[in-house]
Amino acid sequence: MSIVSVRNLQRTYQQGTITVKALNGVDLDIDSGEFTVLMGPSGSGKTTLLNCIGGLDTPSSGSVVIDGTELGKLTKGELSDLRLHKLGFVFQSYNLIPVLSAYENAEFVLLLQGVPPKERRERVMQTLKDVGLEGMEHRRPGELSGGQQQRVAVARAIAGRPALVLADEPTANLDSKTGHALIELMKHLNDVHGITFVFATHDPKVMDAAKRVVQLVDGKIESDDRR
Amino acid sequence: MMRLLMLAARNLTRNLRRSLLTGAAIAFGLTAMIMMITLQEGSYAEMLRSGISMLAGHVVIEHPDYAEEAEPELVVTDITALGERLHEVLPDAVVAPRMQIGGLLTSPTNSVGVGLQGVNAAAEKQVTDFDDKLVQGEWLDDADDRGILIGAALADRLDVGIGDKVVFMGQGKGSEVESQLFRVRGIFKTGGAELDGFVGMTTLAPTQALNHTPDSAHQVTLHLKNPKLAAEARDRARSVTPPEWKVMTWDEAMPDIVALIRLDRFSGDVMMAVIGVIVAMGVLNTVLMSVMERIREFGVLLGIGMRPGRVASIVLLEGLVLGFVATVVGIGCGIVAAYPLVTYGLDYTAFMGSETMEMEGIVVSSVIKGAYGWNRIAGYGVAAIGFTVLSAIYPAYYITRLEPVEAMRSV
Repeated sequence: MSIVSVRNLQRTYQQGTITVKALNGVDLDIDSGEFTVLMGPSGSGKTTLLNCIGGLDTPSSGSVVIDGTELGKLTKGELSDLRLHKLGFVFQSYNLIPVLSAYENAEFVLLLQGVPPKERRERVMQTLKDVGLEGMEHRRPGELSGGQQQRVAVARAIAGRPALVLADEPTANLDSKTGHALIELMKHLNDVHGITFVFATHDPKVMDAAKRVVQLVDGKIESDDRR
Repeated sequence: MMRLLMLAARNLTRNLRRSLLTGAAIAFGLTAMIMMITLQEGSYAEMLRSGISMLAGHVVIEHPDYAEEAEPELVVTDITALGERLHEVLPDAVVAPRMQIGGLLTSPTNSVGVGLQGVNAAAEKQVTDFDDKLVQGEWLDDADDRGILIGAALADRLDVGIGDKVVFMGQGKGSEVESQLFRVRGIFKTGGAELDGFVGMTTLAPTQALNHTPDSAHQVTLHLKNPKLAAEARDRARSVTPPEWKVMTWDEAMPDIVALIRLDRFSGDVMMAVIGVIVAMGVLNTVLMSVMERIREFGVLLGIGMRPGRVASIVLLEGLVLGFVATVVGIGCGIVAAYPLVTYGLDYTAFMGSETMEMEGIVVSSVIKGAYGWNRIAGYGVAAIGFTVLSAIYPAYYITRLEPVEAMRSV
């Protein structure tokens, strides 16, 4: 069953007098439980595609359906609710809230979801354990290494039990070893918990771990390999 | 909500120096405001205290037309019986009847137009501090219907001293000019030009005789130990007063002074509001700067599914927390800083050249003791918090307009 269904997606930007076609008629279906990587050179449209799938960016035309809901028909508030309940995000530069501890950052989405305190605590503690941050709950982002911060970001993304996690260049700011460990972690979460991941990345290590690699060139899908 | 409040509070610690400076501006503004309004309220309280004791009472009984027309014949009659009934219902109150007759006070060398006030000497001594203002001679005796007290400036004009004779000529009830010989018993100096230069004070009997209205007074005033019970005392007094007389509380009896204080308080509040707006602009600048620095972070919050209104509420809560803490500190500092004003007062003697001064025609002490205006302090506190939250509205609104993807690109 498709968790993501993209049809004839187009996204154009105006840069001065020039119109840039970041996405030029993309069709893509992603099934539940997939570990998909969007590859491509800079400017190929992979981040734009990821943003459109995540409802962070508005397509110029075409449609994005997430778990049966067409994003284009939602209001700003409904779109927020969909992101809150169905999607998780991991960003290149972690984007944690600096004044909150690792525990509080991971808990934040659950708070917004209105999960009761006891269940919230259990889930956050388990998630932090899953990402290997047991014992570091009370550390703030400034007291964690880059890899640890990205693990907190992953914990935040998966704590709310989303249908889909979107990760934009999650290893770009990490050294090779840490990046590899992070990929292993996400692969493990995919294998064990069945969480669906979609990555936008240049990183060959991520591509090696992927079950499916979608190659984008000039805003179009050039190849789509399942492994 | 508690977690958002906690987040807002922690956000304020990110740039602690900036938050402290902004909070200090609010707190200092409030402290200064509280000191000013404490002095202001103290001067109002002194004006009212003096005005109530000398010009009215906490409760005043008079002819319904007297306040408007002030004609000699507009008296309250049978005041002895009325006084007894008032004592029965208000045993702790001092009843001080007063007569007021205009006329000419003449000495062998000069004549001056004066207002002659007839008072119950014993009662008046309890309710006013005129006896403290005597610089020569002694206080009136109710058994002496020839004694008169005059102001120092009036004594100079008439060129009279203690024991000298003066003649009062005035128009009583029925338009007949009457005269009465008095002997100067005392000379007072209040510091008020009108009181010291144009007022004589004698016992009730001679003024009643001059007016041809025995057992009467233009005003029967009641002075209470607890001024806050004026309304209740008025109602009790009304229950034993014939319906043809008007029974009023002090604020009903002195509407001009009350209006004047209200106007002065309002203009003070307007000035404080202007200061508040200036402080609010500073707060707006700080909050806006703090928001602009965190656009990317707000983008992330929007991205992970926080509704725009909720993200904006973090900024409003930051304003609320900043305003609340600064207000508590400002009020605390204001109360402490104003305490010496309340306890020892501000001494204007050196500026005024005497121990008393005139405020809007009322003689008050040159040492103005402050009085905490709790309602105004609370009002200013709420306004300070309100101004701070209002300052955060535009930055909060700005956030609701952000697109997550654009915001996250912000550096």
